[in-house]
Amino acid sequence: MDDLLNPLKDRLSQYLTEVSGTPTEIHHAQPIAGGASRDTWLIDATIGGERQKLVLRRDLSTVMYEQALTREQEYQFIDAAYQKGVLAPRPRFLCTDPNLLSQSFFIVDYVEGISIGRKVIQAPELADARAALPQQMAQQLAKIHAIAAEGLEFLPRIPEGQSAAQQALDQVRNMLDKLSAQNPAFAYGLRWCERHAQTSERITVLHGDFRLGNLLIGTQGLNAVIDWEFGHIGDPHEEMGYCCMRDWRFGNGHLHFAGLSDRETFLRAYEQASGVTVDRAAVDWWEIMGNLRWGVTCLAQANRHLSGRDVSVEYASLGRRSAEMQLEMLRLIQQRGL
Amino acid sequence: MYDRPTAAELIDAVRGHLENHVVPAVKGDGKLYFQTLVAINVLRVVERELKLAPDHAQSEWARLDHLEGAMDVPNNARLIFSILHERNTQLCDNIRAGRYDGERKIALFEHLMATTIEQLQVANPKYLQTLAQEDGVSS
Repeated sequence: MDDLLNPLKDRLSQYLTEVSGTPTEIHHAQPIAGGASRDTWLIDATIGGERQKLVLRRDLSTVMYEQALTREQEYQFIDAAYQKGVLAPRPRFLCTDPNLLSQSFFIVDYVEGISIGRKVIQAPELADARAALPQQMAQQLAKIHAIAAEGLEFLPRIPEGQSAAQQALDQVRNMLDKLSAQNPAFAYGLRWCERHAQTSERITVLHGDFRLGNLLIGTQGLNAVIDWEFGHIGDPHEEMGYCCMRDWRFGNGHLHFAGLSDRETFLRAYEQASGVTVDRAAVDWWEIMGNLRWGVTCLAQANRHLSGRDVSVEYASLGRRSAEMQLEMLRLIQQRGL
Repeated sequence: MYDRPTAAELIDAVRGHLENHVVPAVKGDGKLYFQTLVAINVLRVVERELKLAPDHAQSEWARLDHLEGAMDVPNNARLIFSILHERNTQLCDNIRAGRYDGERKIALFEHLMATTIEQLQVANPKYLQTLAQEDGVSS
């Protein structure tokens, strides 16, 4: 816990003194829950005589997903979003010198808010926030989808000659092949998605993991969009289907959009904010694909344990959680027609 | 046969130990606390699997007979599971090759739904209960 505090606190304050050009003192640094693939610290510092709360994100040595952005890329992505007026935390410092904290890291302004989905759905004091969120989230998503891809060349994109749907199908097929998983439900889900594949007319920048767990929520609603590591170029319907997935409803299963509202409320707010018509059938397809991909990803997570690469009872248990996404995928296919 | 405790009773003993002694002792360590809760839940999955797996294997076998052609049930319990794995591999190949794209997809879907529900009866029966409640409310 204190590995950053003791030997490295001095180095960090020295670094911040250098890059900010003013004397910096670190009063306190404590780990906060972050994504599973990096560690995140809350820093209390005085920079140039001003007391500031900052958040430091550092790579971990094990990488969770190959497609995830590096800290340097994530920082640039946050910066682009911030410039565009998206509610992203203000980017402050990026350090790619591994000698400093043994990994690359970046620092952004601290933003108040809750990112625990279940709390956001249940807390009585967040009732106003819940009422405002479908609109606010739709507006933020519309803004994110309007970020220019130029200058963000590092974002994973769709291979030449492929559609966004074909790329997603290939990814799932490759994951299943790599795992040698013989799961007839996922084989069927993949087949169904192939047979009903959507063409995409609009290709944009996507946040890539847009759900309550990656938003900071205060009593008035959305304070900031965080965790930009899965940014990529794709079909915006993917992102709309993704945040409708049952697993991100946190117990409020009957409210299709993020456990907050019906789906139409959200989609109409998105259409209003973006000026673009949403293809409902495409959102359906991407929600089915989202469940298929998340279910197969759970199997892949279990395989991290089984292969001995990252031995963990938590990863092992995910192998059985995949059945939840499997059932949801089948139910959605049934609603759309086999 | 083995003496008691049975496998299920042993698992129950370990789960009780984790719940009553380990969980209170690791409350101060967020990560360890969380992982211990996961471990307890994993033991519950195993308990349910021990109880339900023989029946699930039998019903899955019967459904596969209906879909892919009948096969005699081996009289060795261990063989049932390994042949089930082979039969599922075969089914996956047939799905991928498009052999269930036509009218047979309805029978296939019923099978997949039944198998998935059996998987969840082991992995997370609460999930099924919640869904049933929700469907009851919305209909």
